Amino acid sequence: MNKAQHNSGDPELGLHPEPIAASATGSLVLHGILLAVVLGWGWAMGLFHHNDWGSQGEGSTMQVSLASDALPLPPTEVNKNVLSTETPSPAPAPPTPKPVEHIDDKAIPIASKVRQQTQPQQKQQPTQQKTQKNQPQPQRDNLAHYGEQSGSAIPHGVPKHGNFGPAQVGDSDFTSMFGWYVNQINQKMSQSWNRYEVDPRTPHGTRAFIAFVIHRDGSPTNIQMDRSSGSPTLDRSCLRGAQRIDTFGGLPPAYNQSTLKVSYYCEY
Amino acid sequence: MKAHVRLLPLFLLSFLALAACPLRAQDWVHTGTNLGNQRIRLAVADFKPVGAEAQTPSLKATFDSTLQSDLAHAGLFDMVSKSMMPESRPGSPQEISINQWSSMPTNASMVTFGALAASNGRLIVYGWLFDTHNGANPQILAKQYNEAANVEMARTVAHRFADEIIYRLGGGINGISETKIYFVSSRSGSKEIWAMDYDGQNQHQVTHLGSIALSPRISPDGSRLAFAALDRGGWSIRMYSVELGRMIGFPAGVGGGSNLSPAWSSNGAKLAFSSSRSGDSEIWVASASGGGLHRVTTFRGPDVAPTWNPKTNGQIAWASGRTGLPQIYTMSEDGSSVQRITDGGYAVSPSWSPSGQFLAFSWNRKYGPGDPGGNDIHIIDIASKQYLQLTHESGSNDFPSWAPDNRHIVFERRVGHRSDIWTMLSDGTDQHQLTRSGNNFMPNWSWK
Repeated sequence: MNKAQHNSGDPELGLHPEPIAASATGSLVLHGILLAVVLGWGWAMGLFHHNDWGSQGEGSTMQVSLASDALPLPPTEVNKNVLSTETPSPAPAPPTPKPVEHIDDKAIPIASKVRQQTQPQQKQQPTQQKTQKNQPQPQRDNLAHYGEQSGSAIPHGVPKHGNFGPAQVGDSDFTSMFGWYVNQINQKMSQSWNRYEVDPRTPHGTRAFIAFVIHRDGSPTNIQMDRSSGSPTLDRSCLRGAQRIDTFGGLPPAYNQSTLKVSYYCEY
Repeated sequence: MKAHVRLLPLFLLSFLALAACPLRAQDWVHTGTNLGNQRIRLAVADFKPVGAEAQTPSLKATFDSTLQSDLAHAGLFDMVSKSMMPESRPGSPQEISINQWSSMPTNASMVTFGALAASNGRLIVYGWLFDTHNGANPQILAKQYNEAANVEMARTVAHRFADEIIYRLGGGINGISETKIYFVSSRSGSKEIWAMDYDGQNQHQVTHLGSIALSPRISPDGSRLAFAALDRGGWSIRMYSVELGRMIGFPAGVGGGSNLSPAWSSNGAKLAFSSSRSGDSEIWVASASGGGLHRVTTFRGPDVAPTWNPKTNGQIAWASGRTGLPQIYTMSEDGSSVQRITDGGYAVSPSWSPSGQFLAFSWNRKYGPGDPGGNDIHIIDIASKQYLQLTHESGSNDFPSWAPDNRHIVFERRVGHRSDIWTMLSDGTDQHQLTRSGNNFMPNWSWK
């Protein structure tokens, strides 16, 4: 039997078994070698780990952004704002609107010493003239403004100018006495304000000012728009952030008023 | 031979093509963000021992270390290290010099100090919290404690004082220093329910059933413990009374099929669990006494591990396999408004945060062929569907449970054949191990 006979195409020659034994065996052997090589190659390559950063086409992207700013933890890093510094230079500061004020009936406004804030988060003496309420007050100290982000913390504790000396004992500049409480207000507001609610076309740096009153138990009421930012989504998100808060923590026991008025701004 | 020769180039081509595919390892990216305000820099001074009783030094050591550890793990403070503190040990407001603590190298914003005495079998502790930047009026807290003089009460007093500081400086949220964690442990030979303090101290056995007990859930008032137990009739939900010290009845939990994973609503009125008594495992809800049992889901595929929204009690999140692999869903308490939360992978064990805003769950996003293995704890903001991975490449992490202050999560980590309970802050930092002996599973943080 040879191939010539097999390929002759004559149907009357009868059926001869095909001479496939040799080629079939050879095929099986070759396939077996191929399989062994593929598996062996895979195993061998697995021993050498490659760093495939940025290789395309494998797997789906992993979303690793922070869920929201609302994790109730302060951050571990120090504010890396390029403007922040431990030694403020005596430069004239632009007037900033006050974020916080409280009513003290006993305060007598002294015309010569208009004691107002150097940083926006401090609380103020309300003056008898109601017209002054929403106007930026002249600065008391020549401190450069730094580290200002949306409700960001005042620098560690209370600014150094809080050491008024014994003559000012009995005044109620809230920030110098309870700077840690102001820090707490900032923290809670930044946790509950959702940035993703704001229209992304809002220019960065716009601020929405809200005002509310904190009661003895720490609950905020009377949450209202103080000055609009021009972006309705930013305004609404700032208001909702304050409405979301159950309590800021009870007012400090040493503070002897029943409420505290706060003016807060949300900066996009 | 000709056929073989014809086949050879094809074989070589295929060999080369296969050899060109490199193997890829699974990579991940770990990143974090700055939340915008700073931690309070707190110095915890060693308390001053008063009197010459023999017990005082050891009780003081326990008190100091417990107070330090509670405040360090609270997630609120930047702790001043001991080497930076001044050497003085003030015992009262007259003895402390504020400027020493606010100047470098200490640079503390707050300092806590006080005096401790053990006399006549009573432990008396005076503690103060001072604001170092307010020279005129530094006092924020002044506390006095008078308890029995033993190690347990020294720890308890330290926990209470730490809670006061955390409440005052943490925005009015109660501290967790006196909360408990309930978990399953096999160290007694069989899987039983155990309990421990939130920092891993005082681990003790609660149930003594002799069979398998899983997924303990303590009631919001702390009086009853619900869990799934295996007995002759299969899996049933059983109730243990912590006050009475014995099992009490829960008729809704035994009804045929497998009854697993109970979950309390935050008002303690209702219990949701997974039951397969209707043939397919579905979510059922009953009142806390066992009456009013009704089914809430009707999906094909297993529905397990329910958890209530503790803020509103109007929603339940659970894991459902109705699309194949288990995914997390939320629905209203009556079964309507079903919403899918996860978009793929293998997601199980949801736990709703006390604020109502987040879900923590165990997720294997790359489940399937080539899976590097291991589940990781993720939290997801339900409103915006943005998620954050908390654990990375450290064994298989499952069964997260939130602490009532919304700042801590406890979970189970399995590395090889060992399972242990770990705890961490809710941004994934400060992970540390709580249990070290036996195998420990399925932790549940108490409500208060």
